[in-house]
Formats: sequence, C-alpha cells, structure tokens
Amino acid sequence: MTTVRGAAAALNPAPAISFDHKRDAYGFAVRPQHLQRYREYANMYKEEEEERSDRWKDFLERQCESAPLAINGLPGNNSAIKSNVESTDSTADDSSNNGAEAKHANGGKPDNLSEENKEAPSASETKVHQVKIWAEIRSSLRAIEDMMSSRVKKVNLIKNEPVSGMRKKLSPIEEARPGKGASEEDSDEEFYDLERSESDPNLETLSADAIHALDTGVDSHATQPESLPPWKEELECLVQGGVPMELRGELWQAFVGVRARRVDNYYYKLLAPETNLGSKNTELDDRNRESNVLESVGVPEKWEAQIEKDLPRTFPGHPALDEDGRNALRRILTAYARHNPSVGYCQAMNFFAGLLLLLMPEENAFWTLVGVLDDYFDGYYSEEMLESQVDQLVLEDLVRQKFPKLVNHLDYLGVEVAWVTGPWFLTIYMNMLPWESVLRVWDVLLFEGNRVMLFRTTLALMELYGPALVTTKDAGDAVTLLQSLAGSTFDSSQLVLTACMAYQNVQETRLQELRNKHRPAVRASLEERSKGTKAWKDSQGLASKLYSFKKDPGSVIIGSDKPEQSDMQMNGDVSHLDSLSVDGDEEIDPVKDLKEQVVWLKVELCNLLEDKRSAELRAEELETALMEMVKQDNRRQLSARVEQLEQEIAEIRQVLADKQEQENAMLQILMRVEQEQKVTEDARMFAEQDAAAQRYAAQVLQEKYEEASAELAEMEKRAVLAESMLEATLQYQSVQNKPQPSPRSKQAQQSNQDHSPEIPTRKIGLLSRWRDRNKDPNDEKSLNEGQKLSPKQDNTNGHEVQEKV
Amino acid sequence: MASSGNKNINAKLVLLGDVGAGKSSLVLRFVKGQFVEFQESTIGAAFFSQTVAVNDATVKFEIWDTAGQERYHSLAPMYYRGAAAAIIVYDISNQASFDRAKKWVQELQAQGNPNMVMALAGNKSDLLDARKVESEEAQTYAQENGLFFLETSAKTAANVNEIFYEIAKRLPRLQQTPNPSGMVLVDRPAERANTASCCS
Ligand SMILES: Nc1nc2c(ncn2[C@@H]2O[C@H](COP(=O)(O)OP(=O)(O)OP(=O)(O)O)[C@@H](O)[C@H]2O)c(=O)[nH]1
Ligand SMILES: [Mg+2]
Repeated sequence: MTTVRGAAAALNPAPAISFDHKRDAYGFAVRPQHLQRYREYANMYKEEEEERSDRWKDFLERQCESAPLAINGLPGNNSAIKSNVESTDSTADDSSNNGAEAKHANGGKPDNLSEENKEAPSASETKVHQVKIWAEIRSSLRAIEDMMSSRVKKVNLIKNEPVSGMRKKLSPIEEARPGKGASEEDSDEEFYDLERSESDPNLETLSADAIHALDTGVDSHATQPESLPPWKEELECLVQGGVPMELRGELWQAFVGVRARRVDNYYYKLLAPETNLGSKNTELDDRNRESNVLESVGVPEKWEAQIEKDLPRTFPGHPALDEDGRNALRRILTAYARHNPSVGYCQAMNFFAGLLLLLMPEENAFWTLVGVLDDYFDGYYSEEMLESQVDQLVLEDLVRQKFPKLVNHLDYLGVEVAWVTGPWFLTIYMNMLPWESVLRVWDVLLFEGNRVMLFRTTLALMELYGPALVTTKDAGDAVTLLQSLAGSTFDSSQLVLTACMAYQNVQETRLQELRNKHRPAVRASLEERSKGTKAWKDSQGLASKLYSFKKDPGSVIIGSDKPEQSDMQMNGDVSHLDSLSVDGDEEIDPVKDLKEQVVWLKVELCNLLEDKRSAELRAEELETALMEMVKQDNRRQLSARVEQLEQEIAEIRQVLADKQEQENAMLQILMRVEQEQKVTEDARMFAEQDAAAQRYAAQVLQEKYEEASAELAEMEKRAVLAESMLEATLQYQSVQNKPQPSPRSKQAQQSNQDHSPEIPTRKIGLLSRWRDRNKDPNDEKSLNEGQKLSPKQDNTNGHEVQEKV
Repeated sequence: MASSGNKNINAKLVLLGDVGAGKSSLVLRFVKGQFVEFQESTIGAAFFSQTVAVNDATVKFEIWDTAGQERYHSLAPMYYRGAAAAIIVYDISNQASFDRAKKWVQELQAQGNPNMVMALAGNKSDLLDARKVESEEAQTYAQENGLFFLETSAKTAANVNEIFYEIAKRLPRLQQTPNPSGMVLVDRPAERANTASCCS
C-alpha cells in the first residue's frame, strides 16, 4: 500500500481515465455492486492484516534465533559478491542498491517502486537499462528464499531433460556452472552465455564463478531447512493464513526463487537489442539454426503493437500505473517476449506484470514473471495454449467427481464448467475474485510452486456456490450467478482455507496423471484445427493415403495455411486438390500414363470426400437427434416425477380436506356443548336467585315468627301475672265471701294449660275481668259489675285476643 | 441454441473479432448503456445477459464476449459451439481487424451451427477520419456471405441496440412457429446443400 501511494505521489497526471469507480486498499477498482460488501469487509481485512503481521514477525524472529547460520552466513557472503559485480556495472546502481539494503536491514518497508520511479525519469530518457530497478529482499527472509530456490531447481532439473536433448551442446562457461545451468532453461542459458562472452568476457567469467559459488552455497544451506519439516509446515500454515502486505512482494520473490533465477544484466540486454546488435544477431542466428524458426528475426517487434494496445487496458486508472508505471510495464512485457519468443506476449501477462510491478521493483517483477510463466505455467500461454486446455479437462474430471449433482444440473442446462473456469485459470483469478481473495490465492499458489491451488480454489468456489447454482433455471442464469457469486467472494480466509483444507487430497501427482490422460486428445484436436476446415482436413488425410508423398504434406499445408487461410478457404476445396495434385505431379511427372490415373483418383477422391462429408453430417445429425432425445427423455422423466409429485400433493390435499371436515364437526359439537353449558348456567343462576329469594322469605318469616313468639311470651307473662293477680283477687274474694275458695283457683290454672271446651268461657271471663280491672283498676265495684255482665262481653273479648295473635 | 417456450426465447450469442475491435465495449453499451475509454483486455471470455422484446416475444441473449488475441482462438469453439447468433466485430480504422473478421466468418461457416444468425459489425464508426475500411466493401462482403452488416459505435451508441434487435428478429424460432424438438433435424438436410459444396 505504501508502494502504491509512494508511486502515485511521484507521478505525472495519468491519461484521461474515467474515475467514477471506487478503489480498494490496493488501488484497484471495486465494482459498484460490490462497494457495500467491500466496505463491510474492509475492517475485517485490517484486523486480519494486523494479526498476520504479528504472526509473521514472531515466526521470522524465531527463525533468526534457530537458524543463525542460514541468515548470517550466506547473505553476507552473497551481498559481497553482488556489490562486486554491480560496482563494475554502474556506480549509481551500487549506491542505490546499498541504500535499499540498508533500508531492509532497518526493517523498513519495501518502498522500492517509488524509489525507482524517482530515478526513472532522468535515466529513462537516455539509457533505460542503466536504471537501478533491482533490490534484494530483506535478510530475514533469506532462509525461506533458500529453501524455495532449491525446490525450484529440482523442478527445473526434471523438466529440462527432454528439452536439453534437442539443444546444442552447452558452451564451456556453461559447463563450469552446473548449479546455474540447472536453474534455467537451456535456451536462455545459451542466450546469456553468448551475450556474456560476446560483450564482456572477463566480467562474465567473474559473475559466472560468483554465481557458481553462490549456488553451491545455496545448495549446502538448502538441505538444512529441508531437514526441518516442522519449520516448513509452520510456514505453509502461515502462507495459507495470508502473507502480510508489507512482506508480500519480497515473499513472493522468495517463493518463486527470483534470486536464484536472476542473471545480472540479462534484463538490460533484453531491453536494448539495438545497442548490442552484434551479440543479438549472432545469438539469433544460432537460435535459428537450432530451432528452424525463420520468422524469429523480426520477432521482438511482432509483439510490440499488441503490448502497446494493452498498456492502457491494464488496470485502467490505477494510481500507480501512470506514465512511468506503464513504461515499466512495457519494458517487462517486451523483455519477456524476447526472453521466451516461443511464448512471446499473451494477454493476461499484462495483468500479471502489472500486479507484480505494484509489489516490487521492475527487474524483480521481471524475474518473478519469468518464474511464474516458465515454470508454474509452462505451456499455458504459448501459441496453442495446450496446457490451459488440458487443465480444463482435468478440472472437469475433478468437478464431476466431487460434485456430481451440480454437474448433472449444469449438463441439463447445457452449461460447460470450462466456460467460466477457463477464464478463472487463465487470469489466475485476477478480476474474477475480489482483490483480497486474489492475493491470498496467489500467496498459496506461488508458495506451492505449481498450479494445484488453481484447482483447489475452483473446487472451493463450487462447494460454496454449488447449492445456489442447482436452483437456476437456465444456462444464462447459472453462468451469471456463478460469475457474480465468485466476484463477491470477499471472505478470502474462508475461500483459501476451504481450498487448502477440504481439497488437500488434490495433489500435483494426481493432476499430472489426469493431464497425461487428457493431453493426447487436446493435441489431436489442435492439430486437426491447425489443418484448417473440415473439408481441407479430409482431403489432406485422404490425399496422403492415396499418394503417399515423400514430402510430408502436413508441413506444406501447415506452412501455407496459417498466413493464407482465408484465400484457401475462399478458393474452395478444388484448389486444394489442385495444389495437391501439383505436388503429386512433381513426384510422378516422368510417367505420363499416371496422369490419367491421377484424374481418376481425383474423381474417386471427390466421391469419397463427399461420402465422408455426408456421413459426417449424418453423424452430426444423429448426435443432435440423440441429444434431443436425451433431453426429451430427461424431460419425460422430469414430467413423470412432476406427475408423481402432483399426485402426492393431491393426496395430501385430500387428507387435509378430511382433517378440516373433522375439525368442523368437532367445532360444531363443541359449540353445542358450549350452548348447553350456557343454558345450565342460566338455570343455575335462576335457581340461585330463587333460593336467595326463598331464603329471604324464610328469614322474614323467621323474624315474624320470633316477633310473634316474643309477643306470645310477653302475653304469657302477662297472662301469668294476670292469673296471679286474678288468684290474688279470687283469694281476696274468697276470703271475703268464704264459699269455695280453692276449687276455683285450681280450675283457672288448669284452663291455662289445656284448652278444654268448657274452660274458655271461664278464662275469657277472667281475662275480660282482668282487663276491666286494668281499665279501672281501683274501682273494684265496676269489676265486680263486669263480672256479672260477663256472658255478653265474652265474645267480643275472645275475638279481640284472636286478632292480636 | 435458441430454445423457446411460449415466445420467450433464450439465445446464445457470441462476439468474435480482433484485439481491441470493441467487442467488450459493444456488449457493455448494450447491456449497461456505458462506455469507458479504456476497457480492460478480455482474458478467455466474459459472460453477460440481456433481454429484448421483439414482435411481442422476448429474447434473452446469453452473450459470450471472447478474447481477441490470435492464440485465444483455440478457446473460441467452446464458446461459439451451439450459439444461435454471432456478431463478428472489426474496427473500421484498422484493416487488419477486417481481415481477421473474414477469417472468423469462414470458421463459423465451416464449424458453427448452420442456422446461426451472423452479423458483421464495423465498430468505431465515430472515428470517421481514421477510416481504413470502406463500408461498401464490408457491405458487399456481408451480402456475399449471408451476413447482415451495420456500422456501430460503442462510444456514441450508434446502431448498438439495433444490431442486437436485428439479430433477435432474425432468430429462426421467431420467424416460424415454434417446433422444439424436430427442428434441427428437419433443417439440416436443407443446409447441407450450402455447406457441402465440395468438388462440384
Ligand atoms: N472511438 C471509439 N473507441 C472504441 C469504440 N469501441 C471500443 N473502443 C475503444 O477500443 C478499445 C478496445 O475496446 P474493447 O471493447 O476492449 O475491445 P475488445 O474487442 O473487447 O478487445 P479484447 O478484449 O482485447 O479482445 C477500448 O479502449 C475502447 O475504449 C468505439 O465505438 N469508438
Ligand atoms: Mg474485450
């Protein structure tokens, strides 16, 4: 990030570029539909980055302590050699190099790009190749670099064997440097050596020796880390967890083994063929004799237009890719095209080089690119892109095996996995995933030193997004969904860890087996196509059978086919046949009789061709028909399934309806019960009310009864009183009259207890007498008179008493 | 393949043409209505989709924008195989791109789906001063080869929608009553006369 800012600050205004996109922390454009999600993840990235930095720091410190030899011994030695070499080169180089080294020793950030840019303008006008554009990586990473470099060599050793057989014997200088030779492609080796011996023999021998010494040094140390597997394992874990941005550029170089690959001056010489014309030409002559590639004289310029077109189309608007940045990009791409003319320039390299330039100095970026393209992606970006096609077939095998359901669905929709994954592989996910994820995939890929991570990442993406994909209804939707889901894979840790953990068993050896299985088919179809159209191919095949040429017809045809394909096509097959027959005539010219035979054969050939063509068409038709039938069959199966499902649904509906009916019935019953309950409740309430009323009435009656009984009691008291008074009166009377005193009193008492019929009269008589006396208690006479009148008053008195009760 | 269901058609369309002819720019204009001065180079291929309505039917284009560089040619068949339509793009200010377009036409005639609707687009028609390919020449070529031709400009949007609409209208399923399964087989023998012109 510092590099980006530093570089941006040093720049002239960039060409007119629309800046309406937002950019991420690396300066790359973020698509508008992803802005929101990017912002959500930005903080997480920051936290992860901090954690990562700590972990790496810790690791590197422990590294320093545990392996002091690897770090202190070798690099000191090495840098001495280096400055030796470079001091003869240019003084400016040397000083800035020292500056860079000092900076790294202090643990400063790798600001090399901005440093380069400050220097670039002055120097680039005159001698571009003299600009200091190389820096060693910090010493704390040396142990890692050594381990990785040794690995790179082994890979190269194996790989170069078949190639070296085709090449000329190596020069004596080459033989003096066995270590070096192993790390580079033989063709390049020769290239450097010739250049060297041509331009500055003394210096070159010196540097060759130095490199030799360096290499043996590397080798002796390289065995050390390998005997420490835990160390490597920990490193692997760290890499899978991500490389800190601050170290990324340098670690990538360490992984690719840039220092071991680098040959001094090679890059500058590639860039300045004009100044070194002599050496260039001899080199090219040599090359031509060997590989018989006649066009290669004009080759370097063949890529120029192509590269030029793509310069402004590489991360357009990126703040670090201004005029100087793009000049550097042009130099790297041109240098690579000249370094490996059999590959030259291929679109995609512009993005790779652009990314590397953002992370490291120019020459470092060049060597990293060389490592990636020549080793990791050998055969990928060449004219035929053979390995790229092979890899897609291998991937299809793997996807088919791991996600059979998904592939079935895609097959049904008519989607080929390779449509989408082809570009993923070719770009190494650049512009296909969010940048954080791209960088994390690159971390692992460069560390592993092969293309396994390409496969694992795709498998992880399929695992993440397969479930969504199987819900799509047509090919367009499936592809759109997959593209956009991949484009929003912001959770880079999830992606990388899924890839590395869940698909651990996807290994290079297995991939190699699968590649070997598929390669012949791809090669065959490439050859077929290179022979032009179908008819053309047919005629050729038959012709070679009919006239067994001594000359290989294929080579003749291929040679003329490429540049003039269109003409041949328009002229039609007859002209091809004519040209063939001319070839044939050359062979059999002396024998005139044969001419007739040739004509006959030509006719025969035409017939055969026509037959074959119609047979082919028929085959195609049948194939299409078969496809349609398969589709129909699928459809039929599906519709059967749909029917079945529909039936099930109907059944379920029926059950549901029944249930509903039952429910209704239950509800009705429930309602009735409820009603009844209400009625009884009402009745109960009425009864209660009734009971209350009755209770009240009873109470009233009780009260009345009590009152009455109280009154009765009083009456009785009075009656007793009256009787006692009466008795007393009677006694008094008897005392006065003498006749029968006691029998009377006895009679009166009796009448009070039982109501014998004869008593009332007496009683009434008594009462009325008592009352009369009350009325006039003191008048004894009137009482007496009343006694005499008693029969009349008895009735009225009796009545009165009854009423009272 | 164009496939139909009740006047909704899905049609696979592929764009072919030289580097920088403006394939991606044309698609971007058609799909998003945008144009950028510096469009990133296409690596491999890119997919887009867009739906248009023609004659009360809708056509959903499944568009494959391919890479222009010669060597990516080897990947092209994967994308044009089974395509219902193709737009072959050249840059009117670049003769080489026109030559390249002709090669694509030949390849499609030989290898592509015989029912394929092909359009020739002379792009960057806004760059009149830099014109290298005369429109008469292209028109003649197109007529001879059974293509229809339009000069387009992704920059000004001239004829961009038109070329896609014209393709939509010409899709076989739109002109005839839909006949999903038998179609291909029925059509093939008729086509044979055109393609199998060998040795006559
Ligand atoms: N003036 C003008 N420029 C255009 C037009 N169309 C495209 N361009 C420019 O031409 C350049 C290339 O356009 P692209 O659309 O990327 O070309 P392409 O055919 O997709 O190229 P590849 O992906 O490399 O195959 C871009 O810088 C566009 O801005 C146009 O109609 N007019
Ligand atoms: Mg493009």
